[in-house]
Amino acid sequence: MEELILNLKEQIIDALNLEEMTPDQIDNDAPLFGEGLGLDSIDALELIVILDKFYGIKLANPAEGKAVFKSINSIADYIKKNRTK
Amino acid sequence: MGGAISITGMGVICAIGNDSQSVLDSLKRKESGIGPMKYLQSVHTDIPVGEVKLSTGQMRQMLGITGDNPVSRTSVMGAIAVREALSQAGIKNLEGKRVALISGTTVGVMDVTEQYFERMKTEPELQYLPHSNECGRSTHEIAEYSGLGNARCCTICTACSSALNAIMLGADMLKNDEADIVIAGGSEPLSRYHLNGFNSLMILDRQRCRPFDETRAGLNLGEGAAFVVLEKDVPDALAYVSGYANRCDAFHQTATSKDGDGAYLAMSGALAMAGIRPEDIKYINAHGTGTPDNDASETAAFRRVFGDRLPDMSSTKSYTGHTTSASGSVEAVICILAMLNDFVPASLGWSKMIPGGYVPTMGRSGADLDYVMCNSFGFGGNDSSMILSKNRPSGEDAPIMDESCVRVAARKVISDDAELALLKEYLSPMETRRMGKIMKASLLSAFEAMKEAGLEKPDAIVAATSKGMLELSNMFLEEIAQNKEELLKPTLFMQSTHNTIGSAIAIRTGCHGYNITYSQGDDSYYWAERDARMLLRKGEAKAVLVCSFDENLLDGRTKDFKAESIIYTID
Repeated sequence: MEELILNLKEQIIDALNLEEMTPDQIDNDAPLFGEGLGLDSIDALELIVILDKFYGIKLANPAEGKAVFKSINSIADYIKKNRTK
Repeated sequence: MGGAISITGMGVICAIGNDSQSVLDSLKRKESGIGPMKYLQSVHTDIPVGEVKLSTGQMRQMLGITGDNPVSRTSVMGAIAVREALSQAGIKNLEGKRVALISGTTVGVMDVTEQYFERMKTEPELQYLPHSNECGRSTHEIAEYSGLGNARCCTICTACSSALNAIMLGADMLKNDEADIVIAGGSEPLSRYHLNGFNSLMILDRQRCRPFDETRAGLNLGEGAAFVVLEKDVPDALAYVSGYANRCDAFHQTATSKDGDGAYLAMSGALAMAGIRPEDIKYINAHGTGTPDNDASETAAFRRVFGDRLPDMSSTKSYTGHTTSASGSVEAVICILAMLNDFVPASLGWSKMIPGGYVPTMGRSGADLDYVMCNSFGFGGNDSSMILSKNRPSGEDAPIMDESCVRVAARKVISDDAELALLKEYLSPMETRRMGKIMKASLLSAFEAMKEAGLEKPDAIVAATSKGMLELSNMFLEEIAQNKEELLKPTLFMQSTHNTIGSAIAIRTGCHGYNITYSQGDDSYYWAERDARMLLRKGEAKAVLVCSFDENLLDGRTKDFKAESIIYTID
């Protein structure tokens, strides 16, 4: 799980252009949207691309992402349960 | 000065017909033109589109274009619509007349560029990209193919509201006595580029779109062109332009504000200019794309303007698909057809009301439509609304102040990499993380110019660019080619339209006022400055920010750039 979380954070930093951040600066439990990291709807779409590209998970509807993308931990859980690669 | 802006001719080509008559017939028969793609080359064959039912070759033939040089669908569709409009207006001799052709487009000649993109790397004679983002090129071609070779050309790029803004500029030029005849509208072809862009934003429905339906799941892209001939004070014209407003949502590059602020301001502004009440409107041709976001916020804006008494409202994108930059003029022509033929076009695909929403009209004949409203909203929150009337409006325009009242309050150029670090004073790393150099330079020049002028917020923002967001467009084209149209980055697409910078300045300054982007080669700045001065002289703004920007590439990345912001004020 730790390795998955580290990889995921690196993929997020790259895809979301969070150039000035390092993986350890992103709290595993903190909210990613709204008051936490402050991501927006475009970031949610980038997260959907990450799930598809690296883990073979397809989300057809951006609304499905809401529950999944709460925090790093919630994404990692979802990947663990649903990954196809 | 003043006088009724009269529409004396119109021409249209889109998925439901190649001219006004066939578009009218399809609307009356409630026949949609949306279906599987035939001419567009894409791997996404499951995405329905509203294509014009002619190949580019067939359209070339109709226009008598010989030779084998590549021609954009933007140019041929545009020329077909302009020719119809001129013919209906009965205009044969333009000698001695001041003629302007104003077109709205964002794709421009990208449909040609994307065909040659891979070959361009090895065949230097095929350097399309530097031109591809020059939307103004397609407008010159439209002029050439439609016999308007001597017309002044102007191109407006405000994404999906471009064509409605083009008609507004035309109306303004006539009011100010800057032209005798204006042909205004827009043209936008389908392209692999923006089909993939919209797909990356996950707003394309795999079924036919269902505007204002609770189960709506996105839009269908369409293509087309439409133009109107505008003249001053013609009795018994087809219709009259009685009010319009261009406002900005200033919320997000691709999302809309929950309460539809930009849409509300645009509709209210158009009603104020027309001098009429909401209940005078008899039909609304909604922007109504069918995306969850647009239809919810447009509904909220309707609620604010019309309350519980919404006039007959439909989205004709359920017939044509979303013709993006051309949609404003395609739908303005549909509004005129409705007025002339006393009918209300039905909204197709609707079955279940959005909670707290409105029921769109299922169509009606025998309708006396004296005033109709046409809405056109774009990425970047570029929201416009226009009111067309059957009867000649009275009412005089406000006087125009003398040119000598306009002052340049500040001017700031940013063209050096080293200066970009200063942006940290204004924006956090989180806010700048997606920005390329040209965006950073433009925002910095705007902030610094505002600081120098002691200005907190401009009343209007006017942008000018010849080639637009060249680096991001190139990166997205690269991705499309490399990833074979799969797993593309929405971050690249959402910032690649020409109006990205004008709207980014609006978002950062909270400016909900007039917002426009001109792209007409070396003349871009001329049009922007003209607009700024007119806004001030007519008393529509007290401070206007004009930002002009362009960049050059080396190996697909920004090599050099220049952004200049000027604050114009009035004494």
